[in-house]
Amino acid sequence: MTVTPTSPADAGAGVVQPALGSRTRRLLYGSRTLAWLLLLPGLVMVVLFFLAPVVLTAAFSFTNMSTATGVSGGVYQVAPSSISRLKTALPDLADELSQPRYVIDQAGLDALGQTSVPKPLLDELAAKHMGEVFDNRRDAERMIKTLGGRPSTAVVKQISEAFNRSIVNARFSSKTALFEAIDGLGIKATPEQKETIADNTWTGWVWTTGNFERMFASKDALRTMLNTVFYVAMVLIIFNTAYAMFLAIATHYMPDRTSGFFRSLWLLPRITPPVIYVLMWKWVAWDNGFLSMLLAPFGVAPRNWLLDTGTNAWVFVILINGVVGASMGMLVFASALKAIPQSQFWASEVDGASRWQQIVHILLPQLRWPILFITCYQTLSLLASYDYILLATNGGPGGSTEVWSLAAYHTALFNYAGNLDYGYGAAMALVLVIIGITLALLYLRVFNYRALVSRPIIEH
Amino acid sequence: MAASSAPSANFRTWPIVLLLTLLSLPLVVMYIYLFVDTVTDSSTGSLIPDTFTLSHWDFLWHTKVGKPSVWVVLVNTLLFATSTTTVVLLISSMVGYALSRLNVPGRSVLLAGVMVMHAFPSVTLLIAIFVVLQMVGLYNTLIGVILVKAALDLPLGIWLMKGFYDTVPWEIEMAGITDGASRFTVWRRLVLPQVFPALAALGLFAFLSGWSEFILPRVLAPGNNVQVFSVYLASLIADDNNFDLSMFKAVGVFYAIPVIVLFVLFQRHLMNIYGGGTKG
Amino acid sequence: MTFSSKLLRATALASLMLAAAVAGAQARDVNISVWAGGTGPNDTYRVDAIEIAADLLQRQAAIAGDDLKITVTKKVYNGWDDFKPAVTLAAQAGNSPNIIVTGHEDIAPWAQAGLIVPIENYVDLDSWPLSDVYPNLMEIASYGGVVYGIPQDAESRPFFFWKPHMKAIGYSDDDIAALPERVQKGEYTLKNVLEDAKKMQDKGLVQPGYGFYPRASNGPDFWMFYTSMGGTMEENGKLVFDKAAMQRVYQFFADAVSTGVTKKNHIGLPGDQWWHEVSTGQAGIWDAGTWHYARMVNQEGLTDFFGNILFTLAPAGDGGKANTLTHPLVYVLGAGHTDEDAQIAAQLVAIATEPRINALHAIKSSHLGVDQSEGKIPFYAADRWASEATSALLPYANAMPNNADFGKYWDIMWKNLEASWTGTKTPEQAANDAESDLKSTLGDAIVIR
Repeated sequence: MTVTPTSPADAGAGVVQPALGSRTRRLLYGSRTLAWLLLLPGLVMVVLFFLAPVVLTAAFSFTNMSTATGVSGGVYQVAPSSISRLKTALPDLADELSQPRYVIDQAGLDALGQTSVPKPLLDELAAKHMGEVFDNRRDAERMIKTLGGRPSTAVVKQISEAFNRSIVNARFSSKTALFEAIDGLGIKATPEQKETIADNTWTGWVWTTGNFERMFASKDALRTMLNTVFYVAMVLIIFNTAYAMFLAIATHYMPDRTSGFFRSLWLLPRITPPVIYVLMWKWVAWDNGFLSMLLAPFGVAPRNWLLDTGTNAWVFVILINGVVGASMGMLVFASALKAIPQSQFWASEVDGASRWQQIVHILLPQLRWPILFITCYQTLSLLASYDYILLATNGGPGGSTEVWSLAAYHTALFNYAGNLDYGYGAAMALVLVIIGITLALLYLRVFNYRALVSRPIIEH
Repeated sequence: MAASSAPSANFRTWPIVLLLTLLSLPLVVMYIYLFVDTVTDSSTGSLIPDTFTLSHWDFLWHTKVGKPSVWVVLVNTLLFATSTTTVVLLISSMVGYALSRLNVPGRSVLLAGVMVMHAFPSVTLLIAIFVVLQMVGLYNTLIGVILVKAALDLPLGIWLMKGFYDTVPWEIEMAGITDGASRFTVWRRLVLPQVFPALAALGLFAFLSGWSEFILPRVLAPGNNVQVFSVYLASLIADDNNFDLSMFKAVGVFYAIPVIVLFVLFQRHLMNIYGGGTKG
Repeated sequence: MTFSSKLLRATALASLMLAAAVAGAQARDVNISVWAGGTGPNDTYRVDAIEIAADLLQRQAAIAGDDLKITVTKKVYNGWDDFKPAVTLAAQAGNSPNIIVTGHEDIAPWAQAGLIVPIENYVDLDSWPLSDVYPNLMEIASYGGVVYGIPQDAESRPFFFWKPHMKAIGYSDDDIAALPERVQKGEYTLKNVLEDAKKMQDKGLVQPGYGFYPRASNGPDFWMFYTSMGGTMEENGKLVFDKAAMQRVYQFFADAVSTGVTKKNHIGLPGDQWWHEVSTGQAGIWDAGTWHYARMVNQEGLTDFFGNILFTLAPAGDGGKANTLTHPLVYVLGAGHTDEDAQIAAQLVAIATEPRINALHAIKSSHLGVDQSEGKIPFYAADRWASEATSALLPYANAMPNNADFGKYWDIMWKNLEASWTGTKTPEQAANDAESDLKSTLGDAIVIR
């Protein structure tokens, strides 16, 4: 966007093309290679870090991916969670599969005979413990440790593993390996049953539309969406446009030095690091903060003004974001006003117009396009932004200031108990991406996109 | 707005100055207290500081136990912000020029695409970005983090630069080309100086955005022991046992000073464009 | 002595000497990395202990003639929110650290994803000091019958009472001394907590909303109330949502707000303000972690802790019993390392668990020890808080289940607790919403009662 989008069609219009020499013509038209060279690094970065992630996110949103399933695949494991699932599907087989058993048998002894485990130890084991069955590894190892000479921990582990006759907790990288192990245990299962076992023991992610079903069924998701609409609308209307307009017009009527001061002042929040900026607001709103102290002499009990009620929280969230957001509109509007010829003002004053009339008849019409621009641009920014809310209220109290992007962040990246829900988070992000694209396309249409991106004049 | 003079000689300015002063007062008070609190102590329940002290600024001289020196953190943050700024400036000025002036097929699609990207909630794409970084072998490298950070700032940068190139009179280029210079030389020697204000403003924004970055380095390059300022501040908050609000504010002021200095130096350029597209 | 055992000894000795000779010939350099989350300046012994252990193991190896050189790389994250994505993504990418210090609830998802390996593959759990770790803590470090981690520290979340206020509302010294036992027997319940809190406020001892002043942010503490109300978190490896019990929890906090003893906007209170208030007698009754003792005494200037503060288990509510919750951190082994490195990492963890080393962390950070004999160490025993709190609380401590789906359950539970606390939903609505959310999110993985 340019300094003064008074009318987007202005850029580059109305230039008459002079006649060109042939060499110049070649140079101009032959710019394609250079164009690609200039574009290439940017394209690579955009494709890698923008497009590819968006496509991947769209794919993720149709999975149940989480910390527990991992991103890159999975294995087959008869683990506690899979057993509890199997119990509903195949109760008998589940019981058989879930038995951890350690059996001292000949096969195990033979296998150990091939290793460096001392022979006498194995002989003693065969003589004293052949055929014994242990329910768990610890008991088996306790027995092994009673053998002569107290084998080292590593050897104990090696021996117990050789007699492990169950597949509980073992990780199989392929179905075939899993099925072989099931057969090896002597468990009879039909091919269909085996497939069911495989489905239920898979630790990786699977494709599902569950995320969207969950989202559409969730009351909280609906509330979050309504919060988002409210938040964007309020910040946009009150601050990004109305107050920004007031700032631009007010500073327009001031001497340079004064207007420069006020504009810098209102830009300051935008350039202050968010952590510090929000801290200043908290200092105003805390129980023992500025507001409480100021009101104490009037008999108002101190309270946490920021989180007292949902309404209070909204007031602050809108103020915090609005004060940052107003600066952009202020600058855009101010430069648009600057483009109005002085003579118009003088003429109106000669006609005896009041200041109000001047604002309504001269200033506001000039701001039509900039207001539209700010509205579109800031809608997109606000939809995707959550850092100030995260720092100020973290969506509280009671989720009343939780907006969509913050909820997506909470789901995919910050879950107090650690199991991050990538799939559902991706689904939430995808919703924002779709809304964003729709709005952006609408925005481009409103702005007469063709005029905005008209072919480069020099290439004609 | 140096060139602009008051549009009216007939209207009094003081009522409007007064009104704006009143509206700006809370903001001024907040900033003043942010600073005053770092150099004073006041008794509970009082807004008027009673003693002057430099003890909250102690962190400048004494490194806190279990924390890196604040100067190391400063240098880290500076390096990180400068590198991302460099990448953003370089690529935006190249792509912006190509899209504004050169014969690029699919140009309007590219421009629309860049605009749409502005709407993407970048941090929620983090897991996918991780997968990509891992595929290209840049996961757990600082270069990877810098590239990702820069990429997130590119949509704004490209549009900004494109808009500015659009306003450069094409006669300048024509003149260069008729003099026999290559298109590349024309861009570098003649056009780039014309858009210096845009470069300054974009540079400031990219720097600011890099300066505040928090989550990317810690998550995408966990093997690097690079602590940046925002992380340092967060570690102060996380420290239940030694939390000291005044020191926290002092670190915060120290953290904000470089950007405020830059702001004062470059604000003329900043005022020349819109207030930027950092989210919010 | 039998022939075979003689022979065995000879063989063992020979092989040991051979091993020593081979190892002695070539020095072994091993790099062990250890990452810890949620670790502030007081908690650095979480990683330092591994360094101390490495020193001991090196000396041990040197005596056996093995030239072992261990380099420990430490990395500490102050919070949890960046630690967890960082460490899980690193492990996904195959850059897992050798040792990770994290909350026990991460064991289930990380084990399923194959990010960690069971420590029991590498250590003898029957040998000291591992055999000496509290059995209920060992249980908490296991998943599906497999021991994945070794408890690194323990704590619990008791109820605290400000003694002067208790006296002012009619408790004698004897009554106060008898309170912990009455709580444990279920004679003094959560209902009494609200009543006493109200009395304190009515007498003007504390400001309105300061009678009952619970933890002001999300945390494991709130599951304690669920247990108090008779709720079960997990049964036979399956999550359980006891709707009636959960509704009673929601109702309890809604009641606390409606009777005015707890503030509606309590959640999200700045931490330092909360600390200051509970340490200076501005609050009547509250729940907090045992490790916060350090903060109250050292930073907030509460010199006479035991004179001013009484601690008990969390009292029972309707249908439940008095309890407390412990949320131990554990040492777990990252996957993707050679067996040899994992073996050494496991040994370092075992050594770091020795009472004397573990006590360094416990006392410095006001956590509780993990070894039963830790109390015999004078350094630990001399610390009145550590020794009293350990014996009074740890035997009654529950923990959150190690279940890969527990995080989702927790999120839904908390979201609705916050909503009923702040009055956004009625307790009934909140319980209904939680139920339908749990059904659509977890489906068969949770039993709803």
